[in-house]
Amino acid sequence: MKKQITLTVNGVKRELFVASNELLLNVLRDHLELTGAKYGCGIGECGSCTVLLDGEPILACLTLAMAVDGSDVVTIEGISGSDGRLHPVQESFLNHGAVQCGFCTPGLILTGKALLDENPQPTEGEIREYIRGNLCRCTGYTQIVKAIKDSSVKGKA
Amino acid sequence: MEKSQYHAIGKTSIRKDGISKVTGHEIYTTDVVLPRMFHARVLRSSFPHATIKTIDTREAEKLGAVCITPRDVPNLRYAERIVTIPSKTFKDRQVLTHTPRHVGEAIAAVAAETEDLAEQALSLVRVEYERLPAVFDPFEAMKEGSPLLHRTILFGQDEIKVKNNIAASREIVEGDIEKGFKEAEIIFEETFETGRVYHAQMEPKSVVCQPEADGGITVWTTTQTIHNVRQLLGEIFNIPLSRVNVKKVALGGSFGSSIQMNSVVPIGVALALKARRPVKLVSSREEDMYDHCKYPSWIQLKLGAKRDGTLVAGHMKVIIDIGAHNTQAYPLLGCMAGWWVSLYRLPHLKFEGRAVYTNKVPACAMQGFGNPQVTFAVESMMDMLAERLEIDPIDLRLKNYVGLGETFWGQGPTVKSIIRSCGVEEMLRKGAELVGWKDKFKREKKEGVIRRGIGMARGFHTSGAGAPMAGEVIDYSGSIVKINEDGSVDFLTALMDLGGGTLDALAKIVAEELKVPLDKVGISPVDTRTTVYDVATHATRGIYCGGGALHKVTGQAKTKLLEFASRILQAPPHSLKMEVDEEAGQGMVYVDGVQGRRISVGEVAKTAQINNWGTIAAVDSLRQVSCPPCFMAYFIEVEVNTETGVIKPTKALAYADVGQVVNPDLARGQLFGGLYRGLGYALLEDTQYDEESGELTSGGWITDFKMLTANDLPEMDNIEVHFTDTYEPTGPFGAKGIGEAALNPVAAALANAVYNAIGVRFKKIPITPERVLEALKGMEKRND
Ligand code: FES
Ligand code: FES
Repeated sequence: MKKQITLTVNGVKRELFVASNELLLNVLRDHLELTGAKYGCGIGECGSCTVLLDGEPILACLTLAMAVDGSDVVTIEGISGSDGRLHPVQESFLNHGAVQCGFCTPGLILTGKALLDENPQPTEGEIREYIRGNLCRCTGYTQIVKAIKDSSVKGKA
Repeated sequence: MEKSQYHAIGKTSIRKDGISKVTGHEIYTTDVVLPRMFHARVLRSSFPHATIKTIDTREAEKLGAVCITPRDVPNLRYAERIVTIPSKTFKDRQVLTHTPRHVGEAIAAVAAETEDLAEQALSLVRVEYERLPAVFDPFEAMKEGSPLLHRTILFGQDEIKVKNNIAASREIVEGDIEKGFKEAEIIFEETFETGRVYHAQMEPKSVVCQPEADGGITVWTTTQTIHNVRQLLGEIFNIPLSRVNVKKVALGGSFGSSIQMNSVVPIGVALALKARRPVKLVSSREEDMYDHCKYPSWIQLKLGAKRDGTLVAGHMKVIIDIGAHNTQAYPLLGCMAGWWVSLYRLPHLKFEGRAVYTNKVPACAMQGFGNPQVTFAVESMMDMLAERLEIDPIDLRLKNYVGLGETFWGQGPTVKSIIRSCGVEEMLRKGAELVGWKDKFKREKKEGVIRRGIGMARGFHTSGAGAPMAGEVIDYSGSIVKINEDGSVDFLTALMDLGGGTLDALAKIVAEELKVPLDKVGISPVDTRTTVYDVATHATRGIYCGGGALHKVTGQAKTKLLEFASRILQAPPHSLKMEVDEEAGQGMVYVDGVQGRRISVGEVAKTAQINNWGTIAAVDSLRQVSCPPCFMAYFIEVEVNTETGVIKPTKALAYADVGQVVNPDLARGQLFGGLYRGLGYALLEDTQYDEESGELTSGGWITDFKMLTANDLPEMDNIEVHFTDTYEPTGPFGAKGIGEAALNPVAAALANAVYNAIGVRFKKIPITPERVLEALKGMEKRND
């Protein structure tokens, strides 16, 4: 049985018909063709599917679309400016060589952004603790942690 | 040329795919969507060894699903990895099998309108199994009377019998070990064991296949080699290669997991051909974990040395548990011998290796191809020997390492070449100085709950598998370079970027050779139709081999460019020079010493077009005739909690000899990443089996496989990376590889540090907290 829900996705209001077992990740990727949120495991282990739900990072692969009816969703496609200007965290990932294969990158950038929104000056330990649910097999995290830390400094200046 | 004159090589730049990756626009196989696309699921064996008596797909078909069983697919046996010459390739795989040999092996598959429907259809397929006895331990498997996994396999074109589950074996001898051990004043022997690690690349193995109207197919897939996938699909499905097109798409990590044509690829193709619709098949994480793993090893190593520390003889025996299929065990054994003998000079040596089938997930290459295993054994032994001789472990290494001017055969006995650049001494001496080795490295018993220690290890990897002689391994690359009418440049290569920035390095090689600004060099999106052959991005060969070939082809385009420029400037080509003009955004050609005779690359190309002289382009291939070692050393400090058994790496220093560094920040990234995966290998990662069910005890969950997270690593200021000041004369602009070298010595350095901290010599990795506690208990008992 399909039901109509409303989601605000990257600032745009969307009316969607979704099945009761449909996951937010599928709605974003298949219905809205926003493929920035990745399918890395589908069972909540890797963080590749992270999106922001009312500002909080959540795993879209574990979230039923119907359960978040009426919410505000921000995906990686929605954080740069409308003029194409990158978000400081995106910028910082590029400048620190924090991107390798890039598969974990959307999830980690959104998680980093959520952390900085919550805590603009996190310590290294706080950053590591906050992102530990996002797996990255390539980078060893060092440059990612640096990128997040450095965008926090920049954000303040 | 002076290095300081480089405008692109060695300069930090934003990676060319960076913006699309940070904005979520990069397209990976899992993101490819086609009109009328079906979704597929695979039926996998629930038993470790069985024959299929019946498969009934009727109920599934009633749902509108397209189903395939072993009857519907070509039944030839193939090898999923084809970089060894055909006559030396072992083939034992089929697209779908009647005889599953490990839990998770594919038996049948379905495709339907939606994933949901495919899932439902899959649950309606009925299979009747007859269970066969299974074997999980390689030593058991070799015994007379053990269940046999494969009665026969193909070796090249010949059908050969398999005896005692031995898939491949190799014996390599140099000198006379009996004589060598007689000359030795100290002889000792140890056995080492390494784990069965899962690659855990973040993108699960996937394929999208579109059947074409002309009977051909177009394929998007997670792979390190689009051309080998094309050739295998052509062979399996008997389609001319001109109608098999494999597209290059971004790859969400690999580490060897997609070095072969993955098992999902021909399944997706078979479904698409039967359905006459595009089909997408994405592995679940569990399926991915049941697909491949790293080669686990048992290494028995005997070394003989003089009292002054000079090694004189060595004997290595290796057993590799390859699981249910032989992905590339024969060259693996050759390489393991090569890694060993190319670390330290051994006048007399013998290597004996065996690869053994068991009813487990097939092992394949994973960052290092046998090298981390061998280096763990050898570098642990070097520390043990140094302790016995009461000399500094670094001095012992300096005394024995294979270096400048010496022959080495890292990629096995048929791939011999001479070392022409070597930063070993620099990295060992400077590294020791930087970490304060003299003060920190003390062989004394530590006390307290938390005990600290420091350890080091060195290693190397080859840059590719090139050599003067053709050998058993195919290794060459090719490129196309095209100078556009505005002075920008396109290059086309089948070489993959696995994330390390290989293609950025290649763009810099083009920019440097043609003296055009880096942002004017474009990496073309390509497929197998628009590129010439490239063997694969593996063996740390990207920059050195792929970049070497591209450097050659760029040089050819440059010759043509200068010839056209010479017509315009009215001076002979050999009087012309090039320089970059960043302000004009152009490469410039000028007559050396003559004022006013200067023209941009764009103007040359445009003039050539207007005058109908033709496009400035070139295409060619190159096989490198050596595979220079990129050397690596790690110094690692740890804290061991003797109450919990937890080992915390607190500090690390990586020192790499990559020749000329091409992408500074990305090269650093390779070291950070190699360190991270090496620590996981040393401390935590392994896959284990329930021998009743044949299932992974992790159940296919990453969480239960256990990986280090951002929280388990040294803080960012406590990881240092350095590069030696070296230049590889045979490499493009002096460069050699880095990828695998970055991981190879980590486990040994860590184990040496743990020994330094608590006095326990771990010869088995991972060194889990349980093993630490057990060992400490054992030690207490002995002391009682
Ligand atoms: S895909 Fe959601 S956590 Fe892995
Ligand atoms: S960059 Fe590849 S998984 Fe993070």
